[in-house]
Amino acid sequence: MPTVLGFEGSANKIGVGVVRDGAVLANPRRTYVTPPGTGFLPGDTARHHRAVILDLLQEALTEAGLTSQDIDCIAYTKGPGMGAPLVSVAVVARTVAQLWNKPLLGVNHCIGHIEMGRLITGATSPTVLYVSGGNTQVIAYSEHRYRIFGETIDIAVGNCLDRFARVLKISNDPSPGYNIEQMAKRGKKLVELPYTVKGMDVSFSGILSFIEDVAQRMLATGECTPEDLCFSLQETVFAMLVEITERAMAHCGSQEALIVGGVGCNLRLQEMMETMCQERGARLFATDERFCIDNGAMIAQAGWEMFRAGHRTPLSDSGITQRYRTDEVEVTWRD
Amino acid sequence: MQAADADAGGRAGGADNSLEGQGQGGCGGLCSAGTEAAVAGAAPHVPRPQHAPGPGGDALSTTGRPETRIHIFALGVPFPSHLEAEIACASLAPDREPHGGIVEKQLTVTDSVLAIRWRAENSRLLRISIINFLDQLSLVIRTMQRFGPPVSR
Repeated sequence: MPTVLGFEGSANKIGVGVVRDGAVLANPRRTYVTPPGTGFLPGDTARHHRAVILDLLQEALTEAGLTSQDIDCIAYTKGPGMGAPLVSVAVVARTVAQLWNKPLLGVNHCIGHIEMGRLITGATSPTVLYVSGGNTQVIAYSEHRYRIFGETIDIAVGNCLDRFARVLKISNDPSPGYNIEQMAKRGKKLVELPYTVKGMDVSFSGILSFIEDVAQRMLATGECTPEDLCFSLQETVFAMLVEITERAMAHCGSQEALIVGGVGCNLRLQEMMETMCQERGARLFATDERFCIDNGAMIAQAGWEMFRAGHRTPLSDSGITQRYRTDEVEVTWRD
Repeated sequence: MQAADADAGGRAGGADNSLEGQGQGGCGGLCSAGTEAAVAGAAPHVPRPQHAPGPGGDALSTTGRPETRIHIFALGVPFPSHLEAEIACASLAPDREPHGGIVEKQLTVTDSVLAIRWRAENSRLLRISIINFLDQLSLVIRTMQRFGPPVSR
């Protein structure tokens, strides 16, 4: 029964998790939050991660009640993500792997989300909607690959939401998306925005430009409130995501949908997906914010699957990579 | 850079408490085994950038074009043991430099010193690379101080 330690830090969350045979033994995390109106930059984010990672590692071991001897494998995020933060986490993973003489495993961040979603929800072979600040993909498993059926052709849906939050100077604590969700609940008016589904794919950069422009104008004239804009943006982008997920489910004849990634915490998105699933007689699976949002245990869980299937990452191959497609990994641990 | 960070625990010069001997070599094939003698004197001192002389030439005629200068920067970091220097090397070497090949660096281990040699066409990017490396090096050293020493092989 292998025990795997996982390190995650590809964006502004840094987490260290411990997983053993499907049980999450520890999963502490910290988030780098910037002032309203600003986003997180790679250098500052890396500095934040470097300052807290060793404390987090100690916390994880203590919470799990383990010593370094009890760990069988060190997993870390190889990519995709932001360069400097990825490096900061990878160097610690490599160092402890060598100090404790344990094998190292570089994990694909997206696959970390998927494997944790499968573990927590028990979904057997779902169509996965992976939505976060950095990624927007519709994924289904087929013949040893997580195949991308549809994705954003420009920015991620979470990126669109986060950058809109900056325009309105909405707080980034605990996350801009969470605060947009709360404001959207108080929205009353639907402002018409462009709806940009492109076949199996989606586009968000045009919507962002449009709504940034609209915000200036309409808020000045009092034509609508910031809450109305939050509501309108959510309704529009979430409907687009539901559409491309449904399209993939129809192609695959799938009866299960799973939402993973930070935007998956959004209850309105879950509600809209649930409606679509019910209409198709399908089942919706989602996790709570402990596992939706980037965390170390998801990397440990993917690492656990990979370790048992015999994957190893030699140190010479362990460099991080900012671009790492979900379908690049051979999923040998599933049939 | 703090002296404590550069001196890897301040145990340099004392008893070598690792099981490895004082060997010369690469870190598991990652870094080129070198005869690089780029040790920078006392541990915390960071040497000033030098212009490497060309074969038989002087500092100015390093490359064919007089406007393009190649900047060389060398740094030596002592560790308490050869093994720990190799561990640091293997942790810091795998990630590639950004911006194509404008800045290149090579890590080598000789005895218990990690030597890094930078070569860059652009002094600003060289400075950024050095600063980032020092930040990551500091993290590796803190990790080794907190979660080391290495277990016996």
